[in-house]
Amino acid sequence: MNLNADSTKPIYIQIAEWIENEIIAERFLSDEKVNSQYQLADLFNINPATAAKGLTILVEEQILYKKRGLGMFVAPEGKSIILEKRRNETLTRMAMELVLEARRLSVTEDELINLIKQENKKCEEEQNNGGN
Amino acid sequence: MVVIDCQNLQKKYKGMAALNGITFQLEDHKITGLIGRNGAGKTTLLKILAGFIRENSGEVRVFSNKPFNNLRVSANSILVDDQMSFPDSLTLADILEAAPSFYKRWDAGLAASLFDYFRLNPKQLHFKLSKGAKATFNMIFGLATRCELTMFDEPTNGMDEAVRSDFYRALLKEYIAYPRSILISSHHLAEMEHLLEDILLIHKGKVVLHQSLEEVKEYAVALQGQTDIVEKLTAEKDVLHIKQLDSHRKYAVIKKEDSLGVEGVTIQTVSATDVCMFMTSERKGGIDDVFK
Repeated sequence: MNLNADSTKPIYIQIAEWIENEIIAERFLSDEKVNSQYQLADLFNINPATAAKGLTILVEEQILYKKRGLGMFVAPEGKSIILEKRRNETLTRMAMELVLEARRLSVTEDELINLIKQENKKCEEEQNNGGN
Repeated sequence: MVVIDCQNLQKKYKGMAALNGITFQLEDHKITGLIGRNGAGKTTLLKILAGFIRENSGEVRVFSNKPFNNLRVSANSILVDDQMSFPDSLTLADILEAAPSFYKRWDAGLAASLFDYFRLNPKQLHFKLSKGAKATFNMIFGLATRCELTMFDEPTNGMDEAVRSDFYRALLKEYIAYPRSILISSHHLAEMEHLLEDILLIHKGKVVLHQSLEEVKEYAVALQGQTDIVEKLTAEKDVLHIKQLDSHRKYAVIKKEDSLGVEGVTIQTVSATDVCMFMTSERKGGIDDVFK
């Protein structure tokens, strides 16, 4: 298993995201045990402390919960927390990129909002047409 | 538990300071990278910790004992380097057979498996080994001792790429199965940083940084952009490294802080290797300064 060592993303974040992806893909179901820090260290060829940091992030976000002496388990609402978080993060990032590009091209805020409204309208029309 | 405790450790060779006030503590069951340039004092420090040589002043404790001439430290620690010496009359097989009487946690099974895997010749004499084979054998010996404190001084010198990556993998596997305190010095931080929990960076006989690897990776940021903007942003800051990219753009590395976002300047991460290099560099512009 390979991580991107050159990525600007810290390794422990990549570990957390890998577990999140496994949960989204339902390879870990709710109340199921996920890999221990030592299994992750072996799997990804990294220091166990780094792997533990990735797990800790997910516990803090209440995606995983800890059972003393037993390990880490997927919280029942874990998957929905991940989906919610990704929606927010991805959309916010795309909005930021959109605004930056608009500024570079001297598009005003009103023009930009109109553009978004137009696109949204197109989508609605397509949906309506599809429904007929 | 603290495994190593150094307070203001000093060592001089013919009046030249090799260690010039080293102070740090190492907690148990961590893999720490001992990083520094040539002549920083890495080997001297490791030899003092192993009890091979004596400090001139300051305090050093390994397992709460003074390491020099100390049996408890000798029995529970090992220093693997290219100067390891074994009796000239013993074959490699003889050495492995004798090892358990010196190291009570010796793992003969591991030693034998690694010995086979790396295709060493049991009838070979240690002093006749090639550089690469010697490094491989010494590494096997060091891992198999399962010493509570296992130290490696430039262990991959002489090893080819494949053996290096096998060595780092074996080290990690062993550490996961039998946690111990590992201190490993290397010029090649990038090739082993995935294994490390902490970094101990020394320069001119002093500790410059002792932090977790993740902290070192986030220690600095690089600003790249128009010369005047970069200069303005870094005016009052401690600049670790600076480079003129072309006629109007500059690259500067400073300690990480928030709210640096300015238009016309991109902010980049700085790798642990670069942080260590910039922090131990004599000139802020590096080699390019020489050619100005």
